[in-house]
Formats: sequence, structure tokens, C-alpha cells
Amino acid sequence: MLRLFRIRRDMLGSAVSRRLSTTCSPLPPTPLPHRREVHLWYIKPEEINDSSSQLKHYMDLLSPSEKRDVSSLSGERLQKNAILARTLTRTTLSRYCDGRVDPGSIKFRKGLYGKPEIMWQDGDNIIKPPLQFNLSHTSSLIACAVALETPIGIDVEEKKRQTVKSVLAVARRYFTVSEVEYLAAIPYPDIQQKEFIQLWTLKEAYVKAIGRGFSGAPFKNFTIVMGSDKRAPKMHIEADSDCEGLADNCQFALMELNSSHVVAVCMERDQEISDDEKNSLRLKVWRTIPLIEDELVSGTETVNYICGLS
Amino acid sequence: MASVSATFVSFGCSFNQTKCITAGKNCTISLGMRNHTLTAVRFPRLRVSCLAKPETVTKVMEIVKKQLALNDDVPLKPESKFSELGADSLDTVEIVMNMEEEFGITVEEDNSQNITTVQEAAELIDKLVAAKPEQPASESEQKSEATA
Repeated sequence: MLRLFRIRRDMLGSAVSRRLSTTCSPLPPTPLPHRREVHLWYIKPEEINDSSSQLKHYMDLLSPSEKRDVSSLSGERLQKNAILARTLTRTTLSRYCDGRVDPGSIKFRKGLYGKPEIMWQDGDNIIKPPLQFNLSHTSSLIACAVALETPIGIDVEEKKRQTVKSVLAVARRYFTVSEVEYLAAIPYPDIQQKEFIQLWTLKEAYVKAIGRGFSGAPFKNFTIVMGSDKRAPKMHIEADSDCEGLADNCQFALMELNSSHVVAVCMERDQEISDDEKNSLRLKVWRTIPLIEDELVSGTETVNYICGLS
Repeated sequence: MASVSATFVSFGCSFNQTKCITAGKNCTISLGMRNHTLTAVRFPRLRVSCLAKPETVTKVMEIVKKQLALNDDVPLKPESKFSELGADSLDTVEIVMNMEEEFGITVEEDNSQNITTVQEAAELIDKLVAAKPEQPASESEQKSEATA
């Protein structure tokens, strides 16, 4: 396991006050992702103490409206995870700005269907990297995916997540006919459940990549076909669907994190590279406790590629 | 004084003391006859806006509570947003399916995607239930009518 950077907790206070007095970020700069490369940063909420001063420091990074949104949530756990989600987004993006952008100063706007985007400000700071990002969280893991220029979508789900209804009932209600057939043909319930979760996260990652979300792009309008032998899943738009706004040039990757979570990533395909094999996405994954600890985990047993990745 | 901010409002009054008001999306209605409606409502702090049957709201809350495994101490209100209660899209989808089963209705894709609060869900359910064709009379009722 490679530890890139660690600040001792007793230094956190002085690190924060330095942050307040200068515009420099204490986060170590990270080089921008390459083309076709996805950077994934994740937090495990259990690694951060509920009532620690850390959470209060993180809260300081949030904008007034983000703070209001946090306060409107029911219960401490949801509020903590919301603080961590915003902190993860802000600190992650500032890593790619060469130490010149304070995480608390980044401004965001929402796209047409509500997808958060960075809104770089004019001013002293001339760093405006064309970063695309997307966030996903479950109660036990929060992840932020970053790419250069190309819109990206990510969805995370607990691997063993059970649905209250049967997975086939949910699939019949929301998936396409061919997807239901695929699931129905699986004779073992636990494998069927696993494949359902994989399909669900892939579909979510797609609608988030195209910026429409679940409510803007009904799942019945497109089919995801799982590849064989680690090949990337493919997607096609259903013939009789309303295909307005549905991109058909997206690329998918699927992985397992910590043997506990399924992560699906979707990115628009690069038109200039035609061969699917060479067009696989590359991935770098870090586990982080923002401002405290970063750990590169890709290439270790923490990250298990399922398909679509080189 | 009623003030309406959407272009479509219809009033349907069909229950004993409860006025059922349906309105188009994004509509807030404040009614001067607040006192009449509040007597039938079990949530005294609820501002009268787009009211659904209290028993529908209660049932939706039960479904949501069960789906999200909420503790009793979590404040669940008609205006509670599913996302604020910790529901992700898979939870929302299952909540909709539970509502369909509980009330014997079908929620179309475009409708289900616009349900973000307990209240919105309850209003849609009431609308769909009211639109259901009437159930055929039971056999005993038919016989007693024939012999009367």
C-alpha cells in the first residue's frame, strides 16, 4: 500500500489556520488525468469520527447554501455523509489546481437536469482546468470520479444490497425486455442479485454521465449488454423509445472496491480511437481522509476490475 | 384569499369533511378556509397546500419508513423529501412499487419520477385511486338486489 501524504492530526489545526490566512491548499497537487483515464477518490465514513473536530473543519469548507442543505437532512448520519460528500468534491477538485485553489472557494452550478458542474471564477487565479466530475454515495462509501474534458458518471452500490421486492420484479418494472431476459436466465438467486446490482449501477452511471439523472432518462429507453470475459459492457438505445438527449457513444467500466462495493463508471467514447480493445478506460483509485491521509489503492487487492478496464 | 401560481387548478370535494384539492405541478395554494380543512387533518402544523387524504399520507409514511428502515426518532413529515431521508434512486423506485401494490394502481414512468416528497406521492395516489374504474358489486349484493 502506497501512502502518498500524511499530516499528523495535531498538525491539522495549524494546517487549517494556514489555509485560512493564505489561498494555498495544503492538499498535495495531483497531475491531471490523461485522456481515457478516470481518477477515483473515495471516503469511508466509518474512518471519520462522528463528533470530531475534523467534521467541523470540513464544514468550514462548505458554502452557505451547502451548509443549509446539510442542516435540512434528517439525522446525524445523513448530515455527516453530506458534509463528507461536499468535502470530498471540493478537496478532490482543488488537488488538480497546483495548490492554487482553496477547496472552500470553488463555485458550482447545476446543469439543465441538475448535474453539478464547476464554475471557475475569473480573478487572480488563472488555473481553470477543464475537469469533469461526478459524485456518488452509499451510507458506507462516498466516491468522486474525475476526468479531463469528457463528461463522466459514477454510481456506487453496496455489493450485497438487497431489494425489498425481488430483483426480477424491479427489473420488469424498470429495465428493458432484453435486460429482464438476461437476469431471468440466471438460475442462482445470489448471482442474479449481483448481476442486477451491476446493471443498476451501470445504468445509473450512464444517466449521470449524460447529465440527465434517473428522472431525465428513463431506464426503459436504453439497454446495457454485459460483455463476456472482462470486455466492457455496451449500450444501445431502444428502438421505440424517446431517445432525445441519449448519447450512444458511451463507454463503461465496472469494478469492485474493498470486496464490499460495486462501482460503475461511464464516460463518452473518444471518437478518434476506433478499436474497442485499445479504448479501454484506465483507472487510478485513492482512498482518502481529506487533509489527513491519501492512499493510492489501484493496483492492490482493494480494487478488483470486473470489466471494461485496462 | 386564495392565491394560485400555476395555470391549472381543479377542486374536487367528495369526502365528508375533507376537501380534496388537486392541482398542477409546482402549484402552491393558500386557502382562506384553512380552519375547515384543518379539522380533518391530523398534522396541525401542516400548511394547507395541495392536501391529500390523511390516511394516504399515513400509509405512504409507513411505506417510506419501512423501505428506508427509519428509526422512530427520525422526523417524518408530509413535506419530507425522500432524498433528505437518505433514499437513493433504487429506494425511490421500490417505494413507488410498494405504493402501487398497496393501493392497486400503476404509476407511469413520467409521474413516478416527479414524486420527491411524501405529500407528492400521496396526492398522486389519491388521483390514481379516484381514476380507477368502479369495482363490480359482490355476489351477495347482486342477489339481494335481484330479489328486492
